[in-house]
Amino acid sequence: MFLWKQRFFLVFLILEIISILLIVSNNSYQRSKFISASNGFTGNILSFYDNYISYFNLKEVNNQLVEENVRLRNELKSSYLKLDSTTGEVFDSIYFQHYKYISGKVISNSFQKRNNYLILSKGRKQGVYNEMGVLSQNGILGIVNSVSDNFCSVISMLHSKTAVDAKVVRSGYTGTITWDGKNYRIGQLENIPSHVEVHVGDSVITSGNSSIFPEGILLGKVLTAKKQSGKGFYDIQILFYVDYNKTENAYLIYNLMKKEEDKIMEGVENEQ
Amino acid sequence: MNNEIIKNIVRFILLLIAQIFVFNKINLGGYFNPYVYLMFIVLLPFETPRWLLLLSSFSLGFLVDIFTGSLGMNAATATFVAFLRPSISSLLLPKRDKDSGILPGINFMGLPTFTLYTALIVFIHHFLLFFLESFRLSELGNIIFRVILSSFLTTLLIVILEMIFTSTKKR
Repeated sequence: MFLWKQRFFLVFLILEIISILLIVSNNSYQRSKFISASNGFTGNILSFYDNYISYFNLKEVNNQLVEENVRLRNELKSSYLKLDSTTGEVFDSIYFQHYKYISGKVISNSFQKRNNYLILSKGRKQGVYNEMGVLSQNGILGIVNSVSDNFCSVISMLHSKTAVDAKVVRSGYTGTITWDGKNYRIGQLENIPSHVEVHVGDSVITSGNSSIFPEGILLGKVLTAKKQSGKGFYDIQILFYVDYNKTENAYLIYNLMKKEEDKIMEGVENEQ
Repeated sequence: MNNEIIKNIVRFILLLIAQIFVFNKINLGGYFNPYVYLMFIVLLPFETPRWLLLLSSFSLGFLVDIFTGSLGMNAATATFVAFLRPSISSLLLPKRDKDSGILPGINFMGLPTFTLYTALIVFIHHFLLFFLESFRLSELGNIIFRVILSSFLTTLLIVILEMIFTSTKKR
């Protein structure tokens, strides 16, 4: 029997085909739901582990939180002097809340792979939905790609499919931030035309062109900016303010007007 | 023989736990990425039925994948090196040695042969895994750099672990 003689090779082929099917289904932007790192079982094991490990970083995390508290306190109304005392309190109809934040804890994080993911201990029950933006104290962590009841997994900024709209503060020109997989501290800013002046040290912030991230979140600063010969664009390397090696706390951005924005975008896409 | 089966099951579980909670967290500048769970495939007895070799390697890779979030990648690459293992071992060892019931390890193979045998399995695995992860020819230089660094670390860790366990056994 030919087939029986070749059974070793057949078992090998079957197992490889299963693996490749898993890879392909897993690589689609919305990952397969049936087994993912964010499901309840693995999520619970990872958070159990994180409960113990997180004690080692308490001091540093506390420092970061204190710094953030100081910054937020500075923005409080009470820390500004009222110049015009005759103005009465009025209902503020100019500012309408657009985003609110849900705090989460990073229970699993990778940064040394080509495609990295994070897992947070907040899920559907706490109001997390797909394609939510995720921040840390000093920049962007990534975008939610799969949600279970109590956990969610996040496509890290350090992923070959991540592209975040950004702009250079000085010139206001917008481009896209990607990651080339080399150094986890350094990202690439693309599509900035080479006639614009870009200086080393310029700040790069989110542009607010998508419904995922609000405008003006600090991302990093320009490390090097080279004009590419033959192309009309810069080759810009930026230093991320987030150290993806040290992520403990996360803030999920809940867009209160997402439905409205999606509806408008749908209309635009249908017309095209 | 029964004893050998239990030993391998325990090794399977311990290496899985160590991979998820220790070796996945190792980060030296983001370039080193050891996959020490391969030690299970390296140390499976030579007379293991080949279907069992494939199936156990696949399951171990698959479980590592679930916790790493890289579904299918370790399963595919671990199965591939398990498929190549009989050829690698017959390349390095005379045939009569393999038939007489010896186990892979420093005791029977000697340090240089064992290191070469481990390094071959580890290098093939890492090369395929890192290439699958990025899937871009344009990043080949960067991939090879990372493969060499990580293969070196994985091989070193496996050989050290093997030395620790064989030396305690002798006493």
